[in-house]
Amino acid sequence: MTSFIKYILKRLLQMIPVLFGALTLVFILTKFFPYNPAIAYLPQSFSEEDLRNMERYLGLDQPIIIQYFIFLGNLFTGNWGRSLQISQGAEVWPLVMQKFPRTMEITILAMIIASFIGIKAGVISAKHRNKPQDTIVRGIALLGVSIPVFWLGMLMQYFLSYRLKQIGSPFFFPTMGFATAWYPVLEPITGFRLIDTLITGNLYYFIDYVQHLFLPVMALAFITIASVTRQTRSSMLEVLEQDYIRTARAKGCKEKDVIHTHALKNALIPTVTIIGLNIGALLGGAVLTETTFNLDGMGQLIVTAINRYDYYVLNACVFLIAIIFVVVNLIMDLLYAYLDPRIRY
Amino acid sequence: MVEQKLIQDFKTEPEKGKKKKKFLNGTLNWIITHIKFLLIPGYISEDLMERQFEYEKTKSQRKFITRFKSVLTLIGLVLLFVIISFAVFAPWLSPYDRYWLVTPQYGRYAPPSPEHLLGTGDQGFDILGRIIWGARTSLTVALPALFIAVAGGCVIGIVAAYYGGALDSILMRFVDIMLAFPGIILILVFITLWGRQLEYFILAYGILGIAGYSRIIRGSVLQAKNLPYIDAAKVAGAGNLRIMFRHILPNAFQPVIVAFTFDIGGIILSLAGLSFLGFSDESLIEWGYDISLSRAEFYDAPWAMLWPGFMIMMTVLAFMLVGDGLRDALDPRLKNL
Repeated sequence: MTSFIKYILKRLLQMIPVLFGALTLVFILTKFFPYNPAIAYLPQSFSEEDLRNMERYLGLDQPIIIQYFIFLGNLFTGNWGRSLQISQGAEVWPLVMQKFPRTMEITILAMIIASFIGIKAGVISAKHRNKPQDTIVRGIALLGVSIPVFWLGMLMQYFLSYRLKQIGSPFFFPTMGFATAWYPVLEPITGFRLIDTLITGNLYYFIDYVQHLFLPVMALAFITIASVTRQTRSSMLEVLEQDYIRTARAKGCKEKDVIHTHALKNALIPTVTIIGLNIGALLGGAVLTETTFNLDGMGQLIVTAINRYDYYVLNACVFLIAIIFVVVNLIMDLLYAYLDPRIRY
Repeated sequence: MVEQKLIQDFKTEPEKGKKKKKFLNGTLNWIITHIKFLLIPGYISEDLMERQFEYEKTKSQRKFITRFKSVLTLIGLVLLFVIISFAVFAPWLSPYDRYWLVTPQYGRYAPPSPEHLLGTGDQGFDILGRIIWGARTSLTVALPALFIAVAGGCVIGIVAAYYGGALDSILMRFVDIMLAFPGIILILVFITLWGRQLEYFILAYGILGIAGYSRIIRGSVLQAKNLPYIDAAKVAGAGNLRIMFRHILPNAFQPVIVAFTFDIGGIILSLAGLSFLGFSDESLIEWGYDISLSRAEFYDAPWAMLWPGFMIMMTVLAFMLVGDGLRDALDPRLKNL
């Protein structure tokens, strides 16, 4: 157990260079943005002298190396700066934190759904190798890789909500947004709306959120189902040719047990790696999905921030994303030990 | 068992007279196996060529092309052929001149009609013409960008893997950082800083791709580095550069070819995504931009967003299918994937 904790600590230490690098990269890039951050701290009308004073106060007249350290210092003291353009003068941290759970909600849900469906489909495909089921699963997986997620989202909006409504179906999915517009907004507790409604036991809202989230999550999941399926299929096929599978069959195990107990656990390790690496693609896809479904999450915030040179907001978002990426990969690493008891840390 | 059989096969000469009935098939296979000699007559000196010929003949028993010609790959190749023809012959295939496809006209979002086979989109653009011209833009961005990525990735990957040590760690940490972001965000930042021109899109995708390719190359160079022929080259007195680029690179290049075909699709998708978010060069005819334009009215005119998306899907699918086929053909061990 101590070695386990040691391993986690080691991994956390390894995270640090990557996070620093991410911050440095963003700092350098945003230095080229043609916008003076001092303006955000000043009232609507200001004189030239005010601006100079504010620049001196923020350390913007210093050489760039010192600015970098000021930037890092501010970061660690929790001073993330103020938004320059999006909502002028507002603190960045609450702004980002308001949107962050929304993005995480759809990303994590999509990841979980994609893993379940993808692994199931991969197993089916490997079990019926070169049969019609296999071809169908592989074909759908290939489509999933090649479909643009925003286009898929628009098709879903058109067929599953607009057309369904038009032909008079009693149930159709809502097209846009997180919740029905005229419902009063609930007070956030964790920020994750689904969890919030479950905590307060507000089932009516919960169902509403689920309805709204269904299409975006499905669209987002579909693009990662493909890679999970392909990876599961290939490693399942590899494992199924091993000797211990033959032994298991020879000693009279049911085929179901052979697949699910003997083969699947051994085949899952590469799949878990792929799922971990996919988080980047998912977050990128979340930017597009949020725009398609008008979800007003962090993806949209990033796009606005880049478009309007709001670089404190951008810094915060990028830092969060780098953290998510590293943490997800850490979790995936720890999952290895569960899947394969031979791996010990 | 297997070895015995192999030796037997080796010893018994194949009987020549009996297989004449499949004459056509035989000729076809002969052309396939010998095509490299037919296309490049006398590409090395005569006596060398004789030996090379024998060597290649045994090597061709791996039957690259036999493995390559599965049904799915053929579908992919046909799709690819259609799309590349769209890109190359756009002015001749398109029903309207480029001028009419970028200048606003009457009749926005008209349904399909004899004049406009797939209907019209925003500002009365003919959709059929626009999707044909769009192929050109997508491929013009994706191909040069990948050449930049492969070239840069090769250099960085080989240097990192060959020298190892601190240089390797530094370069790979840098690659880690690049890969820790969703690529689309970095591209957005680059494009915002530089401007929304075609060249900058190519450059941005190229730079981003370098990270991924150097990782791939590094992996396969690390495998190739410790093989005996590298030691042989060292003993023969070859310099570092020569060993890296003449001896290691050709043997470590195979994974790149497969990644290349997959990444073209990735870039086309990502480019469409950028245009959809509103970061595009609006003077170009681009599929993603068409979708983003038609988004305003897509409940009333679904055809305007349907066809460009369909083209994106088909293009990426074509590259994926060909990539799958290539991987099966190049690396028989991965046949199952």
